[in-house]
Amino acid sequence: MASIDLGTARSGAIAETASVIIIAAAFVIPWISQNPAIYSLANQILIGVTAAFSVYIMLRMNLMTFAVPTFMAIGGYTAAILGLRHGVTDVVLLGIASFMVPALFALPLGALVLRLTGVYFVLVTFVLTEITQLLLFEMPGWTGGANGLVGMPAVTLFGIELGDNRAVLLVTIGLALTGALITAAVTRGLRQHFAAIEENELLAQSLGLVVWHYKAFGFAVAAGVSGLAGFALVNMLLTAHPTSFSALSSVNYIAYTIIGGKGTMLGPVVGGALLIWAGDIFSLRGEFSQLLFGFLIVVVVLAAREGIVGTASRFVVLPSSRAPRRPTINPGSGALGAPAATESRP
Amino acid sequence: MEGIVATGLIGISLGAQYALLALGFTLIFGILGVVNFAHGGFYVLGGYLAYSAVTYLGVPYALAVIAAALGTTALGYLFERFVLDRVIDDHLATLMLTLGLYLMMSSGFLVLFGPQSPAFSFPLTGVLRGHGFYVPIENLVVLVVCLVGILLIYALIYHTDFGRALRALADDRAVATAQGLRPKLLFPTAFALATGLAGLTGALVTPILSLAPHVGDPVLATSFLIVILGGLGSIGGATVAAFIVGMVEAFSAVYLGGSKGALALFVLVLIMLVVRPSGLFGHRVRGA
Repeated sequence: MASIDLGTARSGAIAETASVIIIAAAFVIPWISQNPAIYSLANQILIGVTAAFSVYIMLRMNLMTFAVPTFMAIGGYTAAILGLRHGVTDVVLLGIASFMVPALFALPLGALVLRLTGVYFVLVTFVLTEITQLLLFEMPGWTGGANGLVGMPAVTLFGIELGDNRAVLLVTIGLALTGALITAAVTRGLRQHFAAIEENELLAQSLGLVVWHYKAFGFAVAAGVSGLAGFALVNMLLTAHPTSFSALSSVNYIAYTIIGGKGTMLGPVVGGALLIWAGDIFSLRGEFSQLLFGFLIVVVVLAAREGIVGTASRFVVLPSSRAPRRPTINPGSGALGAPAATESRP
Repeated sequence: MEGIVATGLIGISLGAQYALLALGFTLIFGILGVVNFAHGGFYVLGGYLAYSAVTYLGVPYALAVIAAALGTTALGYLFERFVLDRVIDDHLATLMLTLGLYLMMSSGFLVLFGPQSPAFSFPLTGVLRGHGFYVPIENLVVLVVCLVGILLIYALIYHTDFGRALRALADDRAVATAQGLRPKLLFPTAFALATGLAGLTGALVTPILSLAPHVGDPVLATSFLIVILGGLGSIGGATVAAFIVGMVEAFSAVYLGGSKGALALFVLVLIMLVVRPSGLFGHRVRGA
């Protein structure tokens, strides 16, 4: 997957541009529709996709993260506390805070957990989300405990209050677009560094790449993007509550990314949009959508490893534009990135 | 003092249940290198199988427990043989597959049985009184069955050819395979054994605690805790860690209240993962 040939790089760039355009195109929704159901669906999709970007960034480095709800909670509660206790309502300030606080929080955390790879990283991030849940309940002074935080003032932009349905959607779109731009910039700017880490971390390090810098940076950016999604979620629900950030909600974001396709940035966009829309349109609410997600995950892992986008592009993209695949160093890393480095034994 | 004894007994009983669950989890990781996100699902499946056997077929509870254990064993075997085995060398792919299975299982329970807990209670009730403390008989029965189960697992792993074969595969799959052991046969069997243990625990414990589609979530989290604490893949470590976690949960629930005990455990495990990923007793089975 991580072959650095030009064809992949070009299709990656196309996918990144397309993702940003698709999300920016959501700005037309408030002008063509008044339907609250569509607003609600658009909000959910954009928040889900933004959170899935975080999973996507980490997968660039061959790390599967369950910690998205942790950073969403940090971002969301940061915005809620700033609004409720300190009277900050400016959406730009709140957005910056909901990105920076999780990102800064991720740096010392990353120093601890980024030494782990493969299964151990998965486990440590899973444990993190469990700790987050417990902490949210055990620190009622900060988080409101089981009641959560309610009654935030409406956010404002240049003094204009953004309180109604349409304005909330606009804020969500703005945050999602910011998240998409950041994700695109980071994964494009550091494409080769991330690919080297994904392909073979040990080799990258011995070739002089300061792996630790890039992993820490990637982790912090992923945390910040999650934080933006958390802020959007809190802004939509008008409440910051522990149940919004449950440990198993991370499974959804992973499902969007894997089912959509983890190869390009379009994957989380398509996966998130399709799965959330499917859950809505078939009235497969809550638990029934989990049945669908579970089934699709199994199908994707067994049969269509590149997800919806990867599989579709194989048929859609003109075969001639695809140079014959150069053999990669680690041919086994096709699926979900067989951890080449983690197979080594002491 | 009496309170401490009573709490200690609860802790031991919890520890025995956890040990049975964690042994299965750690076997699967040690031998197959698979993190089984569906472990909690098999626990709930065991509970629902026993409940269905008792309620719809009128089978005596003891037989229903055995049926539940066999049913989860069979499902585990089939899942490993026909699904997991195709990508068995890819840690993240197997993880995603078990995660997918868990999502399907827990929503399947919800569709079939609804969100409410069914009326499913332990057939034996009563209290055994000692000097100033008392133990519910149901807990005692579960404790005895779990302890017997743990001893049987130890006997199986350390004193039979099958166990030796499994340990050889866990130790070095390539060498073990070269010496004539057949992963194609042994992997599904090992996975089935572990899921059977989860099903057995579920059938025994859910009548006492509760049976609902989502009671598998905390079971999964607890199994994670124990197995990380004891060292992924370590059998002795998982057993000791299970009793430690059982004791901490029992005492913190009685004397601290809330979820402070759980929080302390999770933080302990987080530190453990970072400082010593191999756990209390383990050696690095699969490089971290």
